[in-house]
Amino acid sequence: MEPKSYVVKSHGRRELQEFSRDKLHHSIVAACLSVRASIGQAESTAKIVTDAVIAWLEDKPEVTSQDIRRIAGSKLQTYNPDAAYLYKNHLSTL
Amino acid sequence: MAKKHKFDYDLIVIGSGAGGSAAAAIAARAGKRVAIVESAVFGGDSPNYSDVPLDAVRNVAEIYDRARHGAKHGIRSTTLGYNYPSIRTWKELVVARTGAGGNRRYYEQLGATPYTGHAHFLTPNEISVNRRHLSASNFIIATGSQWIAPVIPGIDDVKYHTPRTILESLRPPKTLAIVGGSSVSFEIAQLMATFGTKVYIIEKEDRILPTLEPEIGDLVERVLEETKGVTSLVGSEVVAVRNDLGMKKLIIKRGGSEKSLKVDEIMLGCGLRPSLDLGLENAGVAYSQDGIKVNSYLQTNVPHIYAAGDCIGGQFNQAHSAILESRVAVHNIMHPSQSISPDYTATPTTIALSPSIAYIGLTEAQYLKRGLKIKTAIAPLNIVAKSNTTDFRDGFVKLITNSRGVLLGGSIVSPNAHEMIHELALAVKYKHTADDLAQVPHAFLSWSEALRVAAAKLS
Repeated sequence: MEPKSYVVKSHGRRELQEFSRDKLHHSIVAACLSVRASIGQAESTAKIVTDAVIAWLEDKPEVTSQDIRRIAGSKLQTYNPDAAYLYKNHLSTL
Repeated sequence: MAKKHKFDYDLIVIGSGAGGSAAAAIAARAGKRVAIVESAVFGGDSPNYSDVPLDAVRNVAEIYDRARHGAKHGIRSTTLGYNYPSIRTWKELVVARTGAGGNRRYYEQLGATPYTGHAHFLTPNEISVNRRHLSASNFIIATGSQWIAPVIPGIDDVKYHTPRTILESLRPPKTLAIVGGSSVSFEIAQLMATFGTKVYIIEKEDRILPTLEPEIGDLVERVLEETKGVTSLVGSEVVAVRNDLGMKKLIIKRGGSEKSLKVDEIMLGCGLRPSLDLGLENAGVAYSQDGIKVNSYLQTNVPHIYAAGDCIGGQFNQAHSAILESRVAVHNIMHPSQSISPDYTATPTTIALSPSIAYIGLTEAQYLKRGLKIKTAIAPLNIVAKSNTTDFRDGFVKLITNSRGVLLGGSIVSPNAHEMIHELALAVKYKHTADDLAQVPHAFLSWSEALRVAAAKLS
């Protein structure tokens, strides 16, 4: 069973949002596809990264969105460095 | 009009072990609003998992061992035995009696507000504990350290112990392989061997306890082998581990060849890693895998956040050093214009073996490597009368002075070495000479006579 963790959003009013596995999965897939990874590879990388983030969240009921980005980014770095760069810097990348 | 507080607390201490408790108590007594956060068991490692329980069980082991070998002193001990569940009950009683171990109320009585849960920084002044947001004007991070598992193929599929868990075993295993020769590894090895376990220690280095004087490593290896049957496999590396018909099989590479070893249990004693998974990035606190980076005042790069204890990965990682750092950190928070640095001069390091080991300063080789002119003297324990009355001869006192005879440090391997070392600590701290030490009358039939004999050789 997935741990129930909440994410404190970094911008605006710092509202809380329940951690969504699907949302993280989709963002990793999107980063992988943006660097021309195949759909299958993107899906499988996203699953590994998402599982690693969920394992990290096990004892953390509340984290920030930067935490999710950092942990997911460092795991993604192992499997697809280009996608990891894009994922970590997409806010500042045109 | 009541003063309006900007933050929930004046100080939040993260971690209730040796590095956190002292600071929380001092600040609370000074009237500060203090919170202390613990993610596991209140009291931290020392009273719950390491120093205190280990010492409690070791005392039982010493009683058992002395009685078992008492025949030559006229003690009949042929039917002697032990009941390990009762020993565990004794250990738990000792932990409870410390007051701090697992006792949240202890911290409430100190005047601090305890919180149980994983602390996670959200911003430089705010943490989340079980989704409760707590803010403070100052923080002390004292999260301690955890045992690391080395990268060995198959290790994740095998159930293994660490020094934290081995004492929770229902009974001592018949055979035990200890991977890594940290000082705690030898303490556990001697303890388990006393209760009848066949122990193997697998150490990568070419000699055991390589950071200490070579005489100490040689003596410990010989004593453990001769009196307890402990096998030290130095210059050896575990290259694979797997389950094998209810046992654990280790493949060991040694001297270019591979050998296998089957044991009931494995304990990993390779070393400790600072516990740093608390969202330090959100607070902007700089750290590396060796620990949180602090200046000489134990202040991190974020001025209102300090750190103390094992999480800063300093040279000294025993409870007394963490307490010293805890006091310094809270002093610097409360008196920023009179900041002080922890004075590690003459900080003793102890290893609780039989005979026990205690030392101060560097080894002879390390001083020579630094180009210092030193003088050394060794007094073997069998030179003092206590050795005769107790029939104990394994051990020595080694002292090191500079060229002017001022004591720089030394090593003691003796029963009660952890008590004897404080005389040397005082002498080193206040720059006394070996002659000063030799002039002090030492009680006849005390082990400390060996200190006077070694000092006299240098005076």
